[in-house]
Amino acid sequence: MNRIKRFFDTQRPRFSSGGKLEKWYPFFEAMETVFFASDQVTGRQGPHIRDSLDLKRYLATVLLILMPLFFFGVYNAGYQALRAAGIPVDFWPVILAGARIVLPIVLVSYGVGFAWEILFAAVRQHPISEGLFLTAMLFPLTLPPTTPLWQVALGISFGIVLGKEIFGGTGRNFLNPALTGRAFLYFAYPAQMTGDTVWIALNGIKETAVDAITAATPLVVAAATHTAGTVEKSLTGAGYTVSTLFFGLYPDSIGASSTLLCLIGAILLMLMGIASYRIIFGDILGVLATGFFLNLLATPASPPYMTLNPFYHLIMGGTAFGFAFMSTDPVSAPDLHTARWIYGFAIGSLTVLIRVFNPAFPEGIMLAILFMNVLAPLLDHITLRFRLKKRVPNV
Amino acid sequence: MRRLMKTIHIKKGYLPRLAGVPADTLKPLPPPGRVAACPARIPFIKPRLRVKKGDHVQVGTLLYEDKQDSRFQFLSPGGGRVEDIRLGPRRRVEAIVIALSPDEKRVAFPELSKLQLETISRPDLVERLCTGGIWPLIRALPFRDIADPDTVPPAIFISMDNQEPFQVPADIYLKGNEDLFEFGLHVLKRLSDKIYIAGAKSGRAGQPDAGRWANLTYTGKYPAGDPGVLLYHLKNTPDENNSWFITGQDVLMVARLLKNGRYPTRRVIAVGGSAAGDACHVQTRLGAPIAHLMDPVPDATTTRYVAGGVFHGHTVTPDDFIGLYETALTVLPEGNEKEFLALFNPGWRKPTYSRIYLSALNPADLPANCNRHGDERACIACMHCADVCPVDILPQLAYKAILAGEVEEALAHGLLDCVECGICTCVCPSKIELTETLKTARAAYRKEQRCG
Repeated sequence: MNRIKRFFDTQRPRFSSGGKLEKWYPFFEAMETVFFASDQVTGRQGPHIRDSLDLKRYLATVLLILMPLFFFGVYNAGYQALRAAGIPVDFWPVILAGARIVLPIVLVSYGVGFAWEILFAAVRQHPISEGLFLTAMLFPLTLPPTTPLWQVALGISFGIVLGKEIFGGTGRNFLNPALTGRAFLYFAYPAQMTGDTVWIALNGIKETAVDAITAATPLVVAAATHTAGTVEKSLTGAGYTVSTLFFGLYPDSIGASSTLLCLIGAILLMLMGIASYRIIFGDILGVLATGFFLNLLATPASPPYMTLNPFYHLIMGGTAFGFAFMSTDPVSAPDLHTARWIYGFAIGSLTVLIRVFNPAFPEGIMLAILFMNVLAPLLDHITLRFRLKKRVPNV
Repeated sequence: MRRLMKTIHIKKGYLPRLAGVPADTLKPLPPPGRVAACPARIPFIKPRLRVKKGDHVQVGTLLYEDKQDSRFQFLSPGGGRVEDIRLGPRRRVEAIVIALSPDEKRVAFPELSKLQLETISRPDLVERLCTGGIWPLIRALPFRDIADPDTVPPAIFISMDNQEPFQVPADIYLKGNEDLFEFGLHVLKRLSDKIYIAGAKSGRAGQPDAGRWANLTYTGKYPAGDPGVLLYHLKNTPDENNSWFITGQDVLMVARLLKNGRYPTRRVIAVGGSAAGDACHVQTRLGAPIAHLMDPVPDATTTRYVAGGVFHGHTVTPDDFIGLYETALTVLPEGNEKEFLALFNPGWRKPTYSRIYLSALNPADLPANCNRHGDERACIACMHCADVCPVDILPQLAYKAILAGEVEEALAHGLLDCVECGICTCVCPSKIELTETLKTARAAYRKEQRCG
């Protein structure tokens, strides 16, 4: 401890005003606060005590909860790659293969994201915001393992700079930065990104392409079913049984496939009071209500997708991940509790509608969340009007 | 007589479980060597000094008055010589220090019997309270300034208890003073038709809840007992906003002045906090020195002394004095060191509103310090502040409205309902000075109203 303290103490003069690296003080501060909490005390006027919780800890906790998804993503990427290459899937080779696929993506995301953050912090002289560390982890988890690294760099740059920094940084952005980056790649490079076919990364593994690589994702299988009432059957036929979809061992984006882990994460986030349970329950209600409603409306002439059991929508694709970690981002969600119910419900509902009715986009969750991010201030505005009307006026 | 009892349930609020709760004992202290009046700690007044250094004063001699309304008079809490007049920045009068002489003389005020109280006219009564230096103890909502003697308030709230850590519970300051309190209530009844005597529904274990007087009880966490909070949950029309309030201990001051004809100087002070050596209640003089209240005095470099409670109070030094409105001294560790690896601490003993630390499962009282526990960041809309605000303000939105200069919008958000309890600032993970911003905006609005 003393050695670390001494290290920071000797480096401090270089970064403080007058020092050579004065401009990069935010970087020094960010590094020091990882090891040592700030020694600043409250003001002379009350309140004299402050909560032990700060934003660093708040977001670090989310990062911790994301770790199981990250490790599962590593395992799954390796597992799918080895299986596709026809190599036996033992634990350590799988992890090794997965790490070789996923780690570069995550490292590029962190490296590029952090570089932008430091640049903005140095130019604007604001502290480095912790939101970056979460964004730079969430973003790669939504990516296919096949994403080229230059696309990762491009996506995170778009997400951090245009999704967040130009509005003033974490807390002032109106879109979820990780999803903004993801959406950018989705529309800029639709061939690799839309999820028409599954993503199995094979880099570093001998190229013995097998049929599985051209197989369709569950969302496409569901959309391509021709007979009403048989969507579940064709999913099972393509290998997507309920348990596969729930546990997540199938080719999908890196971190989003396991519904189970997302569910555990969501429960932890709600228990700790980090994620708004109103948004998550709203999301789920939205999916189920819309799904059941479509079931009722379905006729032999309508798309067979409408007859899918709505619970499938919760376990297919990125729904669970999006609900647990993306829709609950408090900054881009509305502030008010009532508005959060509506926001969640609309996200769930839109996800199903986009999936079922929009042939261009197999996945709807990303667009639903971004669309509702844009509408969040309006929801707040309307709810606030009703809320303020109830007050007895003072003047 | 059948008394109507009303109970209000206040759902929001926040009370961290802090270590260092004062014991139920009341310890009489020997007389201090000096006492002082602290004009700087009376909000909104502009003091005009009526004594100078070296003057001899009696208990009850006029020390200073408000330049804006000379009826707001502040009298000497001790008899002796004016030893020092301490000036702060911009010649702000911090304290008028009086070295007590062994034979203190007292200014005689007219005594008032219970019978006379029924017949005295309201203006005469107000006049007696003003010249007796007691009027400033009666304050008015929504700004919490000294009540305007010319108006009749829609109601007067008497706060028997205060859940802010750590304040004097009603049963401790009332013990043996029940008759005086009764007299004080009669005085206040002459000032307004409606008197709310507010006490917590569940008093402390084994104690009578708010005595036999309370006609308004409440349940809830800090600051449920604040008159502003009670008013917010009671009011139906905007007229009620200008209600007055006074604390239970100050009702005794009112009664002592009028009944005994002497300027009252007795105060019961709660000394608490995890760094207080002996956390208990002490009986001492009005304006006693801070160091006099503590035995032993903890080290000043690592300790913070707060006069008036953890949430409302001012930082003081052991050389300072307890102010007119302050009945608590909280002693906390300053916390001005860099905690190693705090980011990774599971936090079994870290007090927090959130459920992110393990302390959410720890039922014990936790030691708090005055560290800010993090740097200021932009608001991330975690809603902690809105979830604790006892008067349903959305502090983060009101704060943004104020920063944007939208006073009207801030008012619509309930800026004037704010009771300045400080818990929004306390729970904010972005460490935003919400209370301070709202408080400053309220003061600016008050100034605008008075000048216009």
